[in-house]
Amino acid sequence: MKLEAIQIKVAAVIISELKLEGVTPETFDCELDLIDELGIDSMDMATIVLVLQDEFGISINENDYPGLSNIRLIAEYIGRRLN
Amino acid sequence: MKNEEGKWKFSAILADPAVKARWEKVRKYFFLRESTYDMSNRCNLRCDGCYYYEGDKQFAVENREPGAWRALMRAEKARGITYAVLAGAEPALVPDLLRACFAEMPLGCIATNGVKFIPADVGYKIHISVWGNDRSSERVRGAKDLLLRQLENYHDDARAVFIYTFTPDNIHEARETVEAVAKGGGRVGFNVFSPTVKYEGPLRHTPISLAVVRATMLELLAAFPRQVVYSAYNAVAHTSPQGLHELFGCSYPRANPSTDIGLGRSFRQYRADLSWDRDSSCCVPDTDCRECRHYAAGSAVVTARLVRHAADPDAFKAWLDYVDTYLATWVMGYEKGENLQAKIVMPPVGAAAGEGGRE
Repeated sequence: MKLEAIQIKVAAVIISELKLEGVTPETFDCELDLIDELGIDSMDMATIVLVLQDEFGISINENDYPGLSNIRLIAEYIGRRLN
Repeated sequence: MKNEEGKWKFSAILADPAVKARWEKVRKYFFLRESTYDMSNRCNLRCDGCYYYEGDKQFAVENREPGAWRALMRAEKARGITYAVLAGAEPALVPDLLRACFAEMPLGCIATNGVKFIPADVGYKIHISVWGNDRSSERVRGAKDLLLRQLENYHDDARAVFIYTFTPDNIHEARETVEAVAKGGGRVGFNVFSPTVKYEGPLRHTPISLAVVRATMLELLAAFPRQVVYSAYNAVAHTSPQGLHELFGCSYPRANPSTDIGLGRSFRQYRADLSWDRDSSCCVPDTDCRECRHYAAGSAVVTARLVRHAADPDAFKAWLDYVDTYLATWVMGYEKGENLQAKIVMPPVGAAAGEGGRE
């Protein structure tokens, strides 16, 4: 799966789980810092991790959460796990 | 039902309608972000093992200016805090400051000994600490007729939860105490005595006393399902030979160096002079982390381990019961549902202590 496709799928999960309005998976800024700029907290992150694990059939280690601060980084992480 | 690695899919766990409904109920409160505030350095009781009167925080000069507290709460909201825990030493002694906080921060809780009534216009949850029957309270806390006074002050008060702290000495008094609270329609939660760093008294638990506490908690939960706000998993998490930090990896700054996300990033413990220090910040400062089984700590520490508990349906139901209990204990208007998990479920194995705190 290409990075761009993963990014769109990740963005769709985040939009759905956080119930974000006014943004689509295609228009979501992949460099937006999810913690500093979007304001998500640990429980939001945990929820997103659970859904991403389902969507992509991978495991995301607890210790890796801090590095998953924007959609590009999450997509790259998932891409590495899929390969 | 399971993915290619043989692990349960989260969507499969949520396929159970009761689990899904409870998940949707509790996740509405994921916006809660707490900090704690010592309101005063005075108390009208002196209890054995009190965590407030250990360490430096007791020497902070009180700020008694309501305007300063309102400004602090506004600043706290601006940095994302949505829930205030007002504690140490005895908040009931400063009602004007409680009103000031409530005027700015609508969600919160007050930890009190219950001797003095907190005005009804302060709409926070009120946790009244109970340490056994009146004979034990007189011995350990130097207070006569304490339970009687607590019950008179908070009879039929929707804000009140009576928090029974189990020590090795008062386990056998729990039933009569719960009965007395229940008779007045009150609700009871449980706490487990957690010694401070320098504590050398007789109230420290042993593996045997913890096992007896667990059995007693489960017995009382079964006997008083409407009045006892608890779950089997709460009992397991708080009475295991290992403390909360070892089991779950404490997320509070004092035990968690990470400032990336969660409590390690946002939590502060303010002293009565409105100062704070990250290195000593946790919900029960100066408690020995190795033996911390405090109910307030667990509310955050266990809840934060969502992913770890979503490993299978049994563990996830247990976690949902725990979070449902925590919300019913801490949030005004939140009503606890029936527990989903009656079985004893052991905490899932995760990162070792010191590696945690990242959820």
